[in-house]
Amino acid sequence: MSATYNDTQLDALRELANIGAGNASTALSGMLGRAVDLTVPDARLIPMANAVEAVGAPEAEITGIALGVDGDMPSTVLLLITPHDAEGLCRLLGLEPGSEFAGSALGEIGNIVGTSYLNALAVMTGIALEPTPPATATDMLGSLVQAVLATRAAYSDDALLLDSRMTVEGEGCSIAFLLAPDHGGAGQLLDRLGVS
Amino acid sequence: MSDVMVRMGELAASRSPGKLVTLGLGSCIGLALLDKRTRVAGLAHVVLPDSGGHSEVNRFKFADHAVPELIERVVALGARRPMLEAVLVGGASMFAAIGSSMEVGARNEAAVRERLAKYRITVVAAATGGNRGRTVRVDPITGVVLVREAGGKDTQLYPKLRILQEVA
Repeated sequence: MSATYNDTQLDALRELANIGAGNASTALSGMLGRAVDLTVPDARLIPMANAVEAVGAPEAEITGIALGVDGDMPSTVLLLITPHDAEGLCRLLGLEPGSEFAGSALGEIGNIVGTSYLNALAVMTGIALEPTPPATATDMLGSLVQAVLATRAAYSDDALLLDSRMTVEGEGCSIAFLLAPDHGGAGQLLDRLGVS
Repeated sequence: MSDVMVRMGELAASRSPGKLVTLGLGSCIGLALLDKRTRVAGLAHVVLPDSGGHSEVNRFKFADHAVPELIERVVALGARRPMLEAVLVGGASMFAAIGSSMEVGARNEAAVRERLAKYRITVVAAATGGNRGRTVRVDPITGVVLVREAGGKDTQLYPKLRILQEVA
């Protein structure tokens, strides 16, 4: 039994992604002191084999910040930033890229963006979402996305991805945001919205 | 001849010139089976160690089903089972800090090795563990297995390149 969602449910998930990402971009904007643009968030159900390429080129070098999510909807939040944009974000925070603090600053960005997103979802639906501390890695996009999806792969052949992109105005730095819920986790969200 | 991409949970066998390729392995294991003499190779992209209780999904993403299936597929193309050699790539821990879920890499490797031992197939080379992602390319015709890490170059994992020390 793989997870399936009808159009109404995917629309509801898109709306949730919209609210979560809106809250997250506001938090990012506050942290950086710059306006942050947000693309229209999407909710997609993708066959596992196609999921990595739906996110990006598998061998592209990228910095990923991952937060586990415990509670009523076990999931993983993954933020993806190109090395160039990661440097831009560090400069905005007044940090030398590649310095000792740059990595933890990126982790902190992930923490704030991820937590704000999850808080909006929790307030909206009343379910408990508890993020775990962020972990940062720079590697091939495929390896990072695959490692996140693998932990959820036992229950479904499809990956549900709620994604959105935040761009810092004037700097062109952007952050790709992914929320990958465990199978059944999104069902809980949809139950609370009355579209199960 | 174009390359064959083996994506999450997929497996493929070939005796054609195109390479079998998996891009960006993280915690997953790329399992290559080779019979160099008959020039047949197979590659499986193993996602999880054990299918226990999850029979309703694609079985070949699990080590316990992927290993026997890959053996069958290469044998069907003419590989001789007693001559099969295995090469393992992947099984890294990409995000060490987010805990238990990320030990999947090590568990995947252990599960694949255990299955291979059961079928008496020797692991002749491995690039596994650590915290780096890897790409693997398998050439069925030459039996050469290439591995690449992020930002690096392809290096030959198998057959091992011998440095000529005894020129004299």
